[in-house]
Formats: sequence, C-alpha cells, structure tokens
Amino acid sequence: MDEQVDMSEFLKALCLNMLFYPLFLLVSLIGIPLLTLFVAIPAPFRSHRQNMRAFRLMIVRYGRLVLGSMLPWVRIAKEQSDGTLPQPCIYICNHRSASDPFLMALLPGEIVQVVNVWPFHLPILGWFAKWAGYLSVKEMPFEAFAEAAAGRLEQGINIAAFPEGTRSGEGPMGPFHSSMFRVALDTRVPVVPVCISGNERIPPKGSWHLKPGTIRVRALPPVTADTYGEWSPFVFKNRIHDLIEKELEIMESK
Amino acid sequence: MQKDEIRAQVNEVFIEEFELNLADLKPEAQIFQELGLDSLDIVDLIVALQKKFGVNFRSDERIREIRTLDDLYHFIGRIGQEK
Repeated sequence: MDEQVDMSEFLKALCLNMLFYPLFLLVSLIGIPLLTLFVAIPAPFRSHRQNMRAFRLMIVRYGRLVLGSMLPWVRIAKEQSDGTLPQPCIYICNHRSASDPFLMALLPGEIVQVVNVWPFHLPILGWFAKWAGYLSVKEMPFEAFAEAAAGRLEQGINIAAFPEGTRSGEGPMGPFHSSMFRVALDTRVPVVPVCISGNERIPPKGSWHLKPGTIRVRALPPVTADTYGEWSPFVFKNRIHDLIEKELEIMESK
Repeated sequence: MQKDEIRAQVNEVFIEEFELNLADLKPEAQIFQELGLDSLDIVDLIVALQKKFGVNFRSDERIREIRTLDDLYHFIGRIGQEK
C-alpha cells in the first residue's frame, strides 16, 4: 500500500516537473512579449502613471499564468479575513520559497515588491522588476529606500515585503528586519500580515524539484496606525512576526 | 561605575526601548541573532545608550566589534573609564 502511495506521489511529482518547466518557459517566452505589447501599444496615449499601473498589472497577469502552469498538481488557495483590504497597504509576508514572489499576484491592488539584490540581476524578470519600480532594499541607504517606498504608497501603490530577507524553507521563520515597519510608522499606512503555507517544497530551498501540494495564502486583518502608532519599530516587527507565526501554526495544525 | 551597575542600566535600555524580557538578557546572548536587533535597531540602541550614559560614541569604530551583550557591557565600561 505504501509503495502504491509512493509511486503515485512520484508520478505526480514527475508530471509536475516535466510539464511546469516547459510551460514556465513558454509562458515567459510568449507571454512576456505579448503582455508587453499590450502595455506598449497604447503607452503613447496614456500618462506615465497609467502606463506604470498597466505595466504592474501585466506583471500580476504573468504571475498568475505561472501559478496556473502548476495546476492541477499544485493547488493554490487564497484565504482572506472578512472585509476588503485597505489600499494602499504594506503586505508583510513570511518567506519560505522562491515561489513567494509569484504568489503576490493573488493579493489585491497594484503592488511593488521589496526585493533583495540578486532578483534585480535576473535576466528579463529582474529587468521588469526594475522597470516596475520594485525596491531593492540593500542597494540604497535606508533614508533613500524609505523615501522611495513612501512615494509609492502616496501614489496608492501597495508594497509587498518579505522582512525575513531570505527563504526559511522548511525551518522556522527567521527574524524580521525593521525597514518596512519604519516606513509604516512614517506613513501611517495599514500593515496586512500575510501567511504563506504549503510552498516550502515548491520548490525546496536550494533545489528546482517541485513537490505537488496545496499552497495557502492567508491575509490577516490589517493592523492600522491606531494600533501600531505608539509601538517602536522593534516591537512592531516582532508583534507582526508573532502574529504570522501563530497563524501559520493554526493553518498547519489542521 | 561598577560592572553590575553598567549591566543593570544597559539591560534597562533593552527592557524599556525594546520590550525584551530580563530572562533573555544573558551576557552571552548575540545581539543580532538571539535578541533579534537589525542594523537599524542598532542605531536606536546607540541613541538610547548615549542618552542613558550621557556619552557620545556613535562614531566609535569599536562598536563594530560588539557581538554579545557582554561585549556591550565591556564597551560601555571602557567608554566610562575614558570619559
């Protein structure tokens, strides 16, 4: 019986890996130029702001196409607390896998992500991230980063960040860096904690080998300035860390 | 200032400014890895310590060598002697 289950899991993983990577390439090679054309053709007739919004929407569509390429072996469940999420806001997410940035396509609103140095240097995807105004937290002094982040929020753009700074894989959540919490304290924008569960092996850290499974993305109720206004950045980052950690325990105990 | 007094006052800063528990403030605790402070929190820590001890050491290169709470206690002690 166990052997049958093992064989079934093996076949599922085989199908997933054999189909996903060619599809990912296809989606990237055909989807990116096509989506770019949809943005580029009307560009001269729109304002810079409208073009940037369209460009970021294109990235969301690309992200959804990539996520869709993993179906049916990887299912994705978007879960949200009652009510709509405030816009703009800062999405604070735990970070287990390289698939996390693609999952941001499930969150509402126009989004830029806070990224580490290396994603900016990826061919094509890195260039698009740069053009879309993503923020590279390690490539600028904090003051410049905070100013750029506040500028995005002023324009109504949400910011998604992974304050662990690196993937935790199947281990415990790493400590948070306080940069985005300082931006929240300066701008008084609501913070939405986002729990990502189930993708620790999609793919595992240090591997390309995807495992079938279900990824759950759960946005928790926003934490507004009325609540966090008096907190220090250190206390703020740790309280949101604890909120996400406890919710992940609940999500994974079922 | 006595060592115990320095230790108590430094711990007070961690408890008041960072809401850490006294039980976590062991001399061997790593400030980054175990107490969870990041590079920006360190700036806040320096400001709070300067205020507490009435000294200015922000540009002191020896800060870079501090790893544990014990290192910090010794550093503050040396600063006090040099004052």
